[in-house]
Order: sequence, then C-alpha cells, then structure tokens
Amino acid sequence: MGIGLDLGSTTTKGVLVDESGKVIAAHLVLTGAIASKASENVLEELIKLSQLDLEDVSTVSTGYGRTQVKFAHESITEITCHSVGVHTLNPSIKLLIDVGGQDSKVIRIGSNGRPTDFELNDKCSAGTGRFLEVMARVLEVSIDELGPLALKSKSPCPISSTCTVFAESEVIGRIGSGEGPANIAAGVHQAMAAKISTLSRRVGAASPIGVTGGVARNPAFRHYLSAALNCELWMPEEPQLTGALGAAILAIARASDTE
Amino acid sequence: MSEKVKEEKAYRVLESHNFLQRVMFRYMLEGHAASEEGKLAWVTSGFPVEIPVAMDVGVSYPEQYGAIVGSEKAGPKLCEYAEELGYSQELCSYARASIGSVKHPEESPLEGLPAPQALLACNNICGTVLRWYDAISQMTGAPVFLLDTPPLEGEQMPHHIAYVRHGLDNLVSFLSKQFGTTLEEDKFRKVTDLSTETIGIWTQCLEACKNKPSPLNCADRFLAMAPVVAIRGRDYTLEYYQTLLNEVNDRVANGLGAIRDEKVRLLWDNIPPWFRVFRIMGSLAKRGVVFPADTYTHAWTGSIKGEDRMDSIASMYSNVYLNKGLEAKVDKMCNLIKNYDLDGFVMFSVRSCKRYSLGQLVSKELVSERTGVPGVVIEGDMVDSRLQNDAQIETRLDALLEMLL
Repeated sequence: MGIGLDLGSTTTKGVLVDESGKVIAAHLVLTGAIASKASENVLEELIKLSQLDLEDVSTVSTGYGRTQVKFAHESITEITCHSVGVHTLNPSIKLLIDVGGQDSKVIRIGSNGRPTDFELNDKCSAGTGRFLEVMARVLEVSIDELGPLALKSKSPCPISSTCTVFAESEVIGRIGSGEGPANIAAGVHQAMAAKISTLSRRVGAASPIGVTGGVARNPAFRHYLSAALNCELWMPEEPQLTGALGAAILAIARASDTE
Repeated sequence: MSEKVKEEKAYRVLESHNFLQRVMFRYMLEGHAASEEGKLAWVTSGFPVEIPVAMDVGVSYPEQYGAIVGSEKAGPKLCEYAEELGYSQELCSYARASIGSVKHPEESPLEGLPAPQALLACNNICGTVLRWYDAISQMTGAPVFLLDTPPLEGEQMPHHIAYVRHGLDNLVSFLSKQFGTTLEEDKFRKVTDLSTETIGIWTQCLEACKNKPSPLNCADRFLAMAPVVAIRGRDYTLEYYQTLLNEVNDRVANGLGAIRDEKVRLLWDNIPPWFRVFRIMGSLAKRGVVFPADTYTHAWTGSIKGEDRMDSIASMYSNVYLNKGLEAKVDKMCNLIKNYDLDGFVMFSVRSCKRYSLGQLVSKELVSERTGVPGVVIEGDMVDSRLQNDAQIETRLDALLEMLL
C-alpha cells in the first residue's frame, strides 16, 4: 500500500492505494491555518474509510506544505506527483495544466510519466484559484456558482488587467458602469484562460492536454481554456486528487525500492 | 571533536578565504584614504578601471556595495529609503540600495561607501547606471562621466571601436581635469599587464571547474570574484588569485570537490540573491548539487593586449556578456553546459535587473533545445528580499532535481 498526501494552499488531499495502484480511500479537507494538523486529519479519515491499520505504510507528501508532514517518509514536489498521478489515470496525456489555489502549473509529461519540463505562474496570483475567489466575492456568488454564471453570458466583457488587485478594481468599475454579472464573470474566466494558455505555450502545447486542480472543476474555466488553446481538454473524475494519487503511487515505488 | 564536525559539512571552505578578506579590507581602507585625499571615483562593474588606477585615482564599486547590503540583509531598509525619495520599486535594487545608503549612511553596512569625487559609469552592463549615477551626483555633488559602449550584435566593427576609443580619450581628459593627474604610458602598461595577468589566473580558476568533482562551487566564485571586479590592475590582487589557483589546483590534484559528494552539476545564470545565496547553495550541496559554472563570474574574462592598449580596452569592454545580444548569451550558456559537462541549468530571474533577466524565458527554451538538458527559471532579486518567495524557489529547484536524480 501507499499513502499520498497533498498539502495545497487551500485544501489538503489524501489518497490510499493498494499495490496495484487502485484507490482504496481518498479524502479532502480545507488546509486551514495549521498544515500539519490538516494532514493528520486526512490520515485519520483514511484509516476510518479503509478500516486498515496504516501505521508504517509508505507515505509521500507533496504540495506547498509537504515538509510539514512529520509522518511522511519522503516529500516530492507537486510537479512530479501530478505528472505521475495523471499518467497513471491516462498515459496518453502529454501536457498537464494544474490550477490550484495559489499557483498554476504547466507540466510536460514524458513517456515514463515523469515531468520533462514545466512552468509555474509568476509570483502574482492572477491565473490561480485565488483570482477566481476574489472575483466571486466581488460578484456576490459562491466560488461554485461563478463558473455556471459565466456560462450564461452571450457577450463576455473584456477584463484587461492580469493582476488580481487591478482586475478587482476593473470588475468593480464594470459593475459601476452597469455591466451584468454573467458577462463580467465570463470576462474574468477569459482573462484567466488567456494567462494560462500563454504559460502553456511557453512549455510548448502538446496534445492531448489534461487539466487538474480545484479550478479544473469549474466548467467555465475549462470552456474558455479549451477555446484559448483550441483543443479538447481531458479531466479526471477527481481533478483535485491527482497530486495525492501520484504521491501514493510514488510511495509504493519508494517502498519497493527500499525493500 | 571539532575536526570531525568540520569534516562532516557538505561544503569545503576555501583556506584562501582569509586572504580574500584581507584583500577586500585593504581595498576598503584604500577607498577611504583616497576619498579623504579628494581622489576617489565610484565606478560601475564593467568600467575600464585600469585607466583611473593608472592615473592614481582610487575606486569604489557601488554594485559590489549592493552585494554587501544584500548579504547583510539590509536591502529592504535601504531600498525603502530610496523609495521614500520617489524611486520606483521596479528600479535596480543596487541603485536603490546605493541611493538609500547615501541618504542614510548611519544606517548602512560599513556606514556606506566613502564619498566620491567623481562618478564613472559605463553602460556596457546596463543603461540604468547613468541615471543612478546622476542621482548620486545630485546628492554628493560629484560629476558624472559616461563611457558609452553601444550594444553589440555580432562582430565589433572598426567604427564601433573608434567610437569607444574616443570615449576613453575623453575619460583621460576628464580624470586629468578632475584630479590633476596624467596618464603615463609606462604605468598604464604595467597596470594593464597586471590586470590581464590577474584575469588570466582568475580564468584558470574558473576553468579548473571542468574537473570532476568541481573544485569550486558557485558561492565560492561569487565571493572570490570580488577583487577581479573591483581591484584589477593591483599587485596584491594578483597575489590573491595565485594563492586561490594553488588551492584550486591542489583540490583537483587530490580529487577534492567544493562539495563532498558531487552528484549533479548545474549552470547558474544571473546575479545571485545575495541575502540567500549561501543558504540555497548550502542546502543543495547537502543533496550533491554543485554549480561548476555560471554566467556571472565568467563575465570578468578577456585580456588587454597588443601595442595599442586603448584599442584593446575599447574592444574588451564593449564585448562584455551583457553588452551583447541574446544569441551570444545563449551561445555562452550552451558552451558552458557542454564544456563543463553540466546536467541542467538554473536561471535566476532578477526582478530589478532587467538587462540581465530580459529574454530568459526564450533562452531557457533555446538552451534546452540545443543542449538537451533541462532548466528552470526561479524568480527573486539580488538585494531586495521583499521581491522573493522562498517556497516557490524551493519547489522549482526540487522539481528540477527530481527530473535529474
């Protein structure tokens, strides 16, 4: 067995797999203020769900809080873990776009499932889940409602700022000038898709392309990104869990290496 | 017991480091003495310093001082003083640290640089230096001299050399007028010979890093480069580099590397984050990562030779790394990766050094394509730690190593 724990900026994910890589249990919680506490909660939940004794099971941690997981045997970056996770689910994917709470990553996946090149967004939060959270707040909808709202738009209003703070001011300006919320929401997604498609081209867009991360669940994001890249996008059933899945797969590999 | 602890460190400390500290201390004292005598010029890192040195004009380097400010972690404070005066956070952090330290020397490392009587700027490293020195001139009253070296694409044409040469003649007139000295041919030859010999030995130290294990790591070179940047053309500088070369050769002969367990060899591009470089290099050394080459310390190579030393200076200082086009930079990186047998590269994108960082995304792609090795761009700053996010840097470096190890 192997356990993968992905401590992201917004959520902490855990996946337990058996030797064949089949998922036995998975869980997701909000990371909150104490990353180590979130990882312990996830582990406890994996024990409950699987009803197994998970002590001494090979564990790999990943994500920004990866070094905070005291019971992990190894920590590996989310770049490698997402790559391995996606490759396990769909070996044909050559390029992965993962958009999480505080960063967006574009990873070229080699034939062995390992990354061969990658780019991350710069220090600015534009093009991340945080960007959408800020915009949802301004438009007075929940983050889950933002995407469906955007898809109602027939005429997206352009948002030119790439900085979250400036884009927020711009959105407020649009509201002030009487623009409807659906058109604004669509413009926000378009701006984000443009930024991420640029990042993808830097790595060299190679299809098929997969999307993962919490933001991948947003249908408007997928719609506008697909249009910006001019291709279909593949998404796993649980796009938030691929990093943890990759970590769990690597945990099995690690255990067999040390045996 | 203490011996054992020393032995277990991932990093081998250079014995010649003490000598280096003495050299830099002497340089600093000479700067203060020159300033008191009214004979100190501030110079940019790519300035043909051999000319003021041969004319008995003391020199101090604000860019090097910027590195000290960074290492002492005083960057944010001094940069904020410059920002209070109205300078943008986008401006070079060496310039902001320098302006801030002139404004508040009492709060600056070493109480700032000694006061200048002239400011000598050469734009072969960037165009910002001229405006930066203009700002310092307003604050100190010291006049500015600009040596203009137009950027080069490809071969340097004779008219280009003639133009820069004309600037050098103007420099001699400027220094004569400002300091009442003359340029004596004998002394000029002696200083340029010393400079060339020093650069030659420095180049040998750099090239010794082609060996496996590499006798020097990036951080060693970032420290050891100080005299070749600041004190070319002096006998004690030459003596230091001879000592360093002996130590480097000893390491090579005995198979001793800069780090104890070399596994991965990388190229470093750009100025380092001075406030964090030793921590980054130290933690990478523990994982077997060494940087046998970098584009920064390799920028101080070249030689002044031939009968007409002025023409040779005009050529050498026009052909510095940052004064050439992107193609030359890509070639240089590819050659270093090939000649030093490197496994990958790290490009540090310095937020406030636009000249060095411009084009890095394109060059990353080209270098990877031509050499077949992976690279990563990390972002931060040389002095202003407010512009750096350590967690992002760590993730990117870790991901690169996971691709290599």
